[in-house]
Formats: sequence, structure tokens, C-alpha cells
Amino acid sequence: MVNFSEAQEKLKKYREDNERKSKEVLELWDSSVKHKINQLGNDRYLVLEQVLIAACDCNRIDVAKACLQMLLNKFPDSLRVRRLAITILEAEEKYDEALESLDKLIKADETNAQTRRHKVAILKAKCQISEAIKELVEYLKKFMVDQEGWQELSNLYLLEGEYAKSAYCMEEMILHNSQNHLYHQRNADIRYTQGGAENLELARAHYSYAILLNPNNVRALYGLYLTARSLMSSQKNNQTKKNTFKKIATLSLKRVEHIYSEKRQLNKKDQLFELETLMGWLHLSLN
Amino acid sequence: MAELVLDINIRGWVFLPIVLITFLVGVIRHYVSLLITSQKKVELTQVQDSQVLIRSRMLRENGRYISKQGFYMRRHYFNNEENGYFKTQKRAAPAQTAMPDPSMMTEMLKGNVTNVLPMVVIGGWINWMFSGFVTTKVPFPLTLRFKPMLQRGIELVSLDAAWVSSASWYFLNVFGLRSIYALVLGENNAADQSRLMQDQMSGAAMSMPMDPKVAFKAEWEALEISSHKWALADLDNEVLNVLLNKSIK
Repeated sequence: MVNFSEAQEKLKKYREDNERKSKEVLELWDSSVKHKINQLGNDRYLVLEQVLIAACDCNRIDVAKACLQMLLNKFPDSLRVRRLAITILEAEEKYDEALESLDKLIKADETNAQTRRHKVAILKAKCQISEAIKELVEYLKKFMVDQEGWQELSNLYLLEGEYAKSAYCMEEMILHNSQNHLYHQRNADIRYTQGGAENLELARAHYSYAILLNPNNVRALYGLYLTARSLMSSQKNNQTKKNTFKKIATLSLKRVEHIYSEKRQLNKKDQLFELETLMGWLHLSLN
Repeated sequence: MAELVLDINIRGWVFLPIVLITFLVGVIRHYVSLLITSQKKVELTQVQDSQVLIRSRMLRENGRYISKQGFYMRRHYFNNEENGYFKTQKRAAPAQTAMPDPSMMTEMLKGNVTNVLPMVVIGGWINWMFSGFVTTKVPFPLTLRFKPMLQRGIELVSLDAAWVSSASWYFLNVFGLRSIYALVLGENNAADQSRLMQDQMSGAAMSMPMDPKVAFKAEWEALEISSHKWALADLDNEVLNVLLNKSIK
């Protein structure tokens, strides 16, 4: 049994840090908050929303519906509450109903980005990838600086095997944040997968930049090794270039090996340490 | 010079009532403004316009990190002569004619009703009701320059500048109760008048609606003259250096 104020603090912390610890939230709800919901003051609606989403995550539809009822009593016309109702429908896998009410919501407030994103998510859950892509493209035409939107579109295109389009979305992410090594690495991954001399060159450049930004990005290092190997074997490049590629390939592979061996040693040390402590325990108990 | 002694009734009937009145008026104003303000509706096209401008600016700034093809594709999308975004989007310039947007008018009226009107009415009333009282004294000596500030409504040459008149006390309260309001009504309350003054200062520049046509034209020009300079070309040597340094360590 957790005491009430502690539970309140914890819920607040989860909320503020955007942590999705649905199980913990529900446990807190069941153990203490449920009976004292009226003592929460103005926070209580935020808590109800949080618990509702957590309940949907854990398939506790009854809890979610109870929360929704309380929210509806307070805010009968709120769009935010209606969106939560849709979340419940979604959790019950009543996708068509959810989509229908979402369309109504979008019409009611055209500038709300959340509802449109929600629609894409439902389409994705229904495995209608091409429809989801269409919807997301429409959305991004209106809300062009939504980074997460672009990232999702890139992932959806990857599911469909449309590498060129996916790379385009990745480039959009790089435009937003040019100094993030993960975006460069991902873009290079896509280019490398796409294949072809030109794309390999692009992949090499982006892998290189990712390594410059973060020399410990193992995936980028290994990617650079693979790309350099493929470029070495291509006919177009002259001998000096091939030598550079060879150098790059060997060095990056070495670096990967180095990082892994470091990790292994560290693990070994840890294991050794643990063994020693265990032995120590034995020693003690023998005494 | 004999020390001035104030009647105790002045404390009970002038000093405290002024504090109370200003405070309560602030609280009432907060709730009235909550009642009559309306949520501002944002147009979808407005959102789109601002986001397009941001994206285009980012393209100019970070375009060198993406492939040449990607850069020109995007530039073409914005600037293409026939169907580029900046060329085809015809936005009606916000009305700068004789009759501005009626919703703007009501907004302004509401602002005046909650802010300017009480200030004038209450201020005038206090001036009339409590005129001519010396209410309190600041506990340190002040120079003569402070007399017009602290002794509004009392024109006595021989009175020490440390004494505060009722009208001045009212103004001190108006501007000094901010932290009390924050305590009682929470942050961002509408009761505070000094914040309001600042709003009115910057308001003139803010309320002018942005003209997307002008912004589009400027962005179009800026994008037209920017070209693609790839930042990722020739990284081979740098990468080799990094790899060598790291492996030596």
C-alpha cells in the first residue's frame, strides 16, 4: 500500500517526464488514488486522463470507461475528452467507429494537429499502410514542421519498401536538426539499402558525418565499412580513390573491433568482480 | 519643526480601504476578463503559412547537409515559376482598409472595458473620495524631487517629502500588488495592471496582422539566390584522422 501523497507525487512525475509507465500508474490508481480522487483538486482531471490512457494500454477497459465518465461529467463538450473516448474505442479495436468519430473531430477543429496524427496512428494499427501514408502526407502538407510526422512517414515508406521517398523524409529530419548523428546514420542506412553508385556515395558521406559527430556510433562505423567495401569493388573509381576506401574500410572495422573488445573487457571485469564478491561471501560463510 | 501626528481614523478609513479596494478591483477584473475573453481561433491557412516559412528558412540554413538532388527538389517545390508554393498561394492581404476586421474591434473593446475603464473610474473615484489625506510616511528621508510622485493631490511646500498622500498611495498599490495577485489568483492572472501597461506598449507592433504575401515574396527571393553547397563532400581525410586518433588511443 502506497500512501496517498506519495502516489500523487509519483503520478505527477510520470506526467511531467512523459514516461509511459502504464502498469505502475494503474497500480497506484488501484491501491490508493481511486478512493481519494476528490481530494486531488484541480489536478484530478489530469490524473484521470493519465489513468485512462494507462488503462487502455493495460486492457482495463472498465477503468478507462469509469475515468471517461467522470471527465465527461465535468467537460461534456471538450474535444480533448472526445479524443480520449476515441482512444478507448481504439483499445477495444473498434477501429471503424473510432475513425468515424475522429473525422467529426477533425471537422470540428481543423487546426488541431493531434487529431490528425491520431487518425494516421489508427490507420497504421489497421495495417492500411498506404492509406496511412496518404493521410500523413496530407497532414504534412498543412503542418510542415512536425518532425515526428516526418519520422513516422519515413518509417511507413520503409514498410512499403519505398526507399527513395523514405530518404526524402529523413533528409527533412536532417534539415530540422543537422547535428544529430542518428539522423545522418539512418539516412545513410536507407541510401545504402537502396544501392547504386550514387546512393553509395551519399551513404558514405552521411556515415562519415555521423562518425565525425559521434565517433562511437558503431552502426555508422560498420555501415561505413560496408559502404567502403562496396565502393572498392565498383569499376568506376580510380586507383587512388580505391586506396582511400580500402584504408577507410580497414580502419573503421578496426575501430568497431576495438569498441567491442573494450566492452567485452569491461564485462569480463564486471564478471570477475562479481565472482570475487561471491567468493568473498563464500569465504565469510565458511568462516 | 514639530513632528506631524496622523489621526488614527485615517488608518482605519483611508489607508486600509484603499489597499482593500485596489485589491478587490483587481480580483474582480480577473474574473470579468475570464468571463468575456474568447478563445482566439486560428485559421488553418495561417498555421500552414507560418510552417511553410519555417521550413523554407530551414532549407536555406541546413540545405548543405542534404543531397544536391534533395535540395533542388525542395527549392523547386517552393519556387517553381509555374506551380511553386510561394508563387501560387494567393493570400488575400489582411484588410488594411478603412474597416478593420470586426472581431478585432470587439477584442479591443473588451480589452478597454476590463482594463482602461476600471482604471479611470476607480482612480477618479478614489481621487475624489479620499482626496487631500496624508496617509503614511516612508521610513527614510527623501529629496524634494519625490514630492510630485508621493504627494499627488497635496500641494504643501513645507511638508516633508517622506509623507505619502492618498492618491499616491493608491497608485503605489496598483503597481505593487502584483505578487499578491500571483499568490491569490495564480500566475498569468488578468488582475495585474503593470503587465497591462507593457502589453499596450508592445501591442501596437504585435497586433498588426502579418501579411503572408510580403513574407512569401521575401522568402522566395532569399531561397532563389541560395544554392547548394554540400557540407559533406570530402570528409574522407577527416574521418581517417578521427579513426586513426581513436585507434591509437
